[in-house]
Amino acid sequence: MRGLFPGVRLPGVQLSGAATVAMLVVAVVVNSALQPNFWSGYALTSNFATFVPLVAIAVGQTVVVLSGGIDLSLGAQVTLASVVAVRIVDGQLDRLPQAVAAALGVGLVCGALNGLVVALVRLQPIVATFATSFVFSGLALVVLPTPGGSVPLEVTTAYRAAVLGVPVALLAILGLALLWWVLRRHRVLRHVYAVGGDPEAAYASLVPVARTRISAYVLGGLFAALAALAVLANTGSGDPFVGNELTLASVAAVVIGGTSLAGGRGGAGGSILGAIVLALVTNIVFFADVPTTYRQLVNGAVIILALALAGIPALQKRRPAA
Amino acid sequence: MLLAACSSGDGGTGGGGGGEGASRPFTIGLSNGFVGSEWRTQMVDGVEAAFAEYKNESVVDELVVESADTDVNGQIQQIRNLINRDVDAIIVNPNSETALDAVFREASQQGIEVFAIDQAVTSQDVTNVVIDQAEWARISAEWLAGQVGRGGDIVVVNGIAGHPANEMRWEAAQKVFTDAGVNVLSVADGNWDQATGQQVMTNLLATYPDVDGVWTQDGMAQGVFRAVQAAGRLDQIKISGEARVGFMRLWNEARADGFESIGVVNPPGGAVSALHMAVNVLDGRQFASGRMNGNTVHVPIPYTVDESNFEEHWGRVSGENDAYSLDGSLTRDEAAAFFQ
Repeated sequence: MRGLFPGVRLPGVQLSGAATVAMLVVAVVVNSALQPNFWSGYALTSNFATFVPLVAIAVGQTVVVLSGGIDLSLGAQVTLASVVAVRIVDGQLDRLPQAVAAALGVGLVCGALNGLVVALVRLQPIVATFATSFVFSGLALVVLPTPGGSVPLEVTTAYRAAVLGVPVALLAILGLALLWWVLRRHRVLRHVYAVGGDPEAAYASLVPVARTRISAYVLGGLFAALAALAVLANTGSGDPFVGNELTLASVAAVVIGGTSLAGGRGGAGGSILGAIVLALVTNIVFFADVPTTYRQLVNGAVIILALALAGIPALQKRRPAA
Repeated sequence: MLLAACSSGDGGTGGGGGGEGASRPFTIGLSNGFVGSEWRTQMVDGVEAAFAEYKNESVVDELVVESADTDVNGQIQQIRNLINRDVDAIIVNPNSETALDAVFREASQQGIEVFAIDQAVTSQDVTNVVIDQAEWARISAEWLAGQVGRGGDIVVVNGIAGHPANEMRWEAAQKVFTDAGVNVLSVADGNWDQATGQQVMTNLLATYPDVDGVWTQDGMAQGVFRAVQAAGRLDQIKISGEARVGFMRLWNEARADGFESIGVVNPPGGAVSALHMAVNVLDGRQFASGRMNGNTVHVPIPYTVDESNFEEHWGRVSGENDAYSLDGSLTRDEAAAFFQ
């Protein structure tokens, strides 16, 4: 116990990749033991379809957290981007490109606004992005006051399809991982790590600190837009409240994935696995026949356990100076 | 992409539900995405009780209940879990009229029968088993129009603007008032919440002190009553009420002073009616012609509480808590009459 409580005072928690993978393995084993048809075509396809929105937003949150910030408006950005896209596409396949572009545009603008508020106005990210989340959710209500609009049937069908036995949703997750892998090698992400790790040192090394922070929020917004498109493909329709619950899950996925909330350490690979662990926990609680009134409680307790487990490797690597 | 879509059609056989070949005993799933009200609790309890009877007769074997406060994404996952549980039919109180369409298609492709209650959905893969919201509103609107008479002035406390049920109800009630020559001075939203309803009514009374009546929907009549009572206008302002115990308690106390009202039942037992219908459908029976309107089956409104039968209903429910909704559902025979 002595190890756990001082750990709370650490500037951040970090999990080695091994622990995240171990949690994923445990989650998969437990889930497949409880759910007889876990490996069947429909179960795999539907599970991956559920994962994609959370995976995308978790990658976006990772970039922001790595830069030393946090974005509590990401869920609201998902909502806003999705309602804008659904208003534009309105069931017509030929308007899909415009809708995708508009969703990405919304993510870009929202991210830039957050970045400016945090990097230039210098408000605390946790408060500033919480405030902008109300702006974005409010705008979403203006754009689509009641649930409605439809996504072309081709899109919702393709999202549930499989190519040579591989679910399209799994390919989307691999695509997001590939996108991260490419970004990771780009100069912007090297700057993000530098700024998140030690802003003064980064500044002294001629890293453009403010511009890097803004870029991190913009990237976060773009991934939120991708999450919005996945949400639309998953639901087939627009809803002005659809993304708001994703925010907290995205932060949890980042922590379970081993990225330090203090910034500068970690990566989106872990967050992707973390997001999948979170979604599997919900499945497990269902298939374990937990009575419906206790399910939320058990779900929350398991997630806290996962967050605690995520902190353990960091304790061992703790620097004495911390 | 389309080719890929086709190949996935048979990829799901392993996780499929009963399909056309579903045979007794059936497994039924219940998905509910909101637990914040007594009405939903009554709904789930009612289904569990009716299910237990079927289970004793080995018509069904397992009821899988998914009930939690959740958003559309969460309800999609609820329904996917039910599909993965190999249920034969799903009864759902949907959080959205449209946003679950895609997952309903998944269920239907796995051979699962889906029934929506309380809130109708647009998906053609689903059978809606609901009361006619327009008729529900018309009954109390006609009563109020009769009370205030032609040329009477009323205000309206609605639920949530834009909500499908609210729009259907208000459209019907508005027509009643127009036809009866009743003037609607103002329409405000009380969010189907007693406290908000009371606040809104207090504001309306401040602006329109001389109204003759107020039309409101369920979940707010108690608040509206208290606002009128606080203004000391109970003897002058007619209130359309609700068939819930809290309002009926106030109604009962005020009856001595000549207060009259009406309460149209909006039954949580609609879920039980849907369960009866699900069993019929799983037994391979078809809806009789004329019973279906598009993909919607309207179940009758069980009864209305008014001055003539108040004593009878109050005697039956006065021991329940204030949030209790008066209830009713189709019997098995009544449900069977909907089929060929």
